[in-house]
Amino acid sequence: MLKVRGLEVFYGPIRAVRGIDLDVESGEIIALVGGNGAGKTTTVRAIAGLTPYKGTITYDGKPLTPNTAELNLRAGLALVPEGRGILGRMTVEENLSMGTYCRKDHAEAARDIERMFERFPILKERRHSLANLLSGGEQQMLAIARALLSRPRLLLLDEPSLGLAPKTTTAVFELISSLRRDGLTVLLVEQKARQTLKIADRAYLLETGRVVMSGRAADLANDSLMSQAFLGGATSPEIGSP
Amino acid sequence: MSTYYAGLFADIGILFLGAMSVYIILATGQLSLGNAGFMGIGAYVASFLTVEMQWPLTAALIAAALAAAAIGIVVGFPALRLKGIYLAIATLGFGEMVRSFLLNFDRMGGSGGFHGMKHVSLEYIWLWGGGIFVLIVLLERSRLWLEMRAVHDDETAANLVGLNTTATKVGAFGFGAAVAAVSGGLFAHHHVYIEPGNFGFERSIDFVLAVILGGSTVGAGAVVGAGLLVLLPEWLRFLADWRLAAFGVLLVLVLLTRRQGILDRPLLDKLSLRRARA
Repeated sequence: MLKVRGLEVFYGPIRAVRGIDLDVESGEIIALVGGNGAGKTTTVRAIAGLTPYKGTITYDGKPLTPNTAELNLRAGLALVPEGRGILGRMTVEENLSMGTYCRKDHAEAARDIERMFERFPILKERRHSLANLLSGGEQQMLAIARALLSRPRLLLLDEPSLGLAPKTTTAVFELISSLRRDGLTVLLVEQKARQTLKIADRAYLLETGRVVMSGRAADLANDSLMSQAFLGGATSPEIGSP
Repeated sequence: MSTYYAGLFADIGILFLGAMSVYIILATGQLSLGNAGFMGIGAYVASFLTVEMQWPLTAALIAAALAAAAIGIVVGFPALRLKGIYLAIATLGFGEMVRSFLLNFDRMGGSGGFHGMKHVSLEYIWLWGGGIFVLIVLLERSRLWLEMRAVHDDETAANLVGLNTTATKVGAFGFGAAVAAVSGGLFAHHHVYIEPGNFGFERSIDFVLAVILGGSTVGAGAVVGAGLLVLLPEWLRFLADWRLAAFGVLLVLVLLTRRQGILDRPLLDKLSLRRARA
């Protein structure tokens, strides 16, 4: 579904991503894990079309053009950015309505918004309040709901658990699992490696802009290098526990 | 109406249009300090067309607006790369560029100014003012406005819901420039004499001030702002030499108590509700 080959992204003279290869197959949850500054966010931003890059990214067999986020969205590729990217000075309802911006089927889009309200009752309760005034968890739900309203086939999530309470984090991870059951493909960037590897099919471990390890998520969770670098200490059988 | 008040209301109309031009651009989160430049372009193009080409004024104003819009779009593209204070300074530079170009443009009188325009009535000025105001109110209720607010709020987020933020921002610059040009054309035909000094930095500041004072979140705020900016210094005349200082104090007081300006959406709703009940 998504093929990334030799991806390089520069911030001025700094090479933040140094030649990454990445594959996402339809229906998978792919995790991108790694420490701060590993290049995870930069990679998904490049895929979403928010930054210029070198290398090729093909989606459904067609190459994407760098820096064309709005076209990528129309192709079915939506990103929930780090920090959620909600429109804070607009209401919950306006945010969701913006989520259907690129769609032509207005009646169906309006029904989809109602369905989102059913799926996330808290958003319905607060539909008229400014998005800024929602709690972190609610904002994350809103951001994901808004991205879903564009009816993507591939959802890119950049640190959805950032700044959330453990309980809310669990809810977000459950939501991601349920999205896959609905047939969505997810590319998930996370620092919370344990929980991420538990729900992912495959994972890529990034370090200073390179892929240092990749494979089945379960294998990565049990790998000693991975566990030393990111999971805190020796491999343990109950790796999945948060 | 006395000629004194007719003159003041004409000035309010012209300032209101200038303030509108800032408001439209500001709605996408871009602060322009160079709209007097677009006003100057409008004034000179419209005057050239009516005086030298014998065009009717309305046609000349439309042509001037289109010319300024084209220049506004050209200015809008480099402005995309700038934000906040950097954009403000760059647009200020643009305004000064236009002024000094006009100063050296002898074909249209250079520093000596240009005259020969026929005076327009107060009603004609407010016909334009009212027409553009209605246009803005309609815009504020449209989906396009939601897009402009989204761009203002968070450009990346707007981009991610599929908005073409470039088109929105550049379009706002073009529209704002066109409105400023109408303001300039009317100014030229109201005062029947123009010189480059009319379209300097201070004029741009007046536009921004009218928006900030009147209310930067609703179009109607510019009416209030423009009215106060013209009338207050007149009403304060009894203070003689101190009137501008008193005006400054009032301005600071208003902004201290109402950061969003005098008029905002809740106040506007309250006012229109009362009117509906009465």
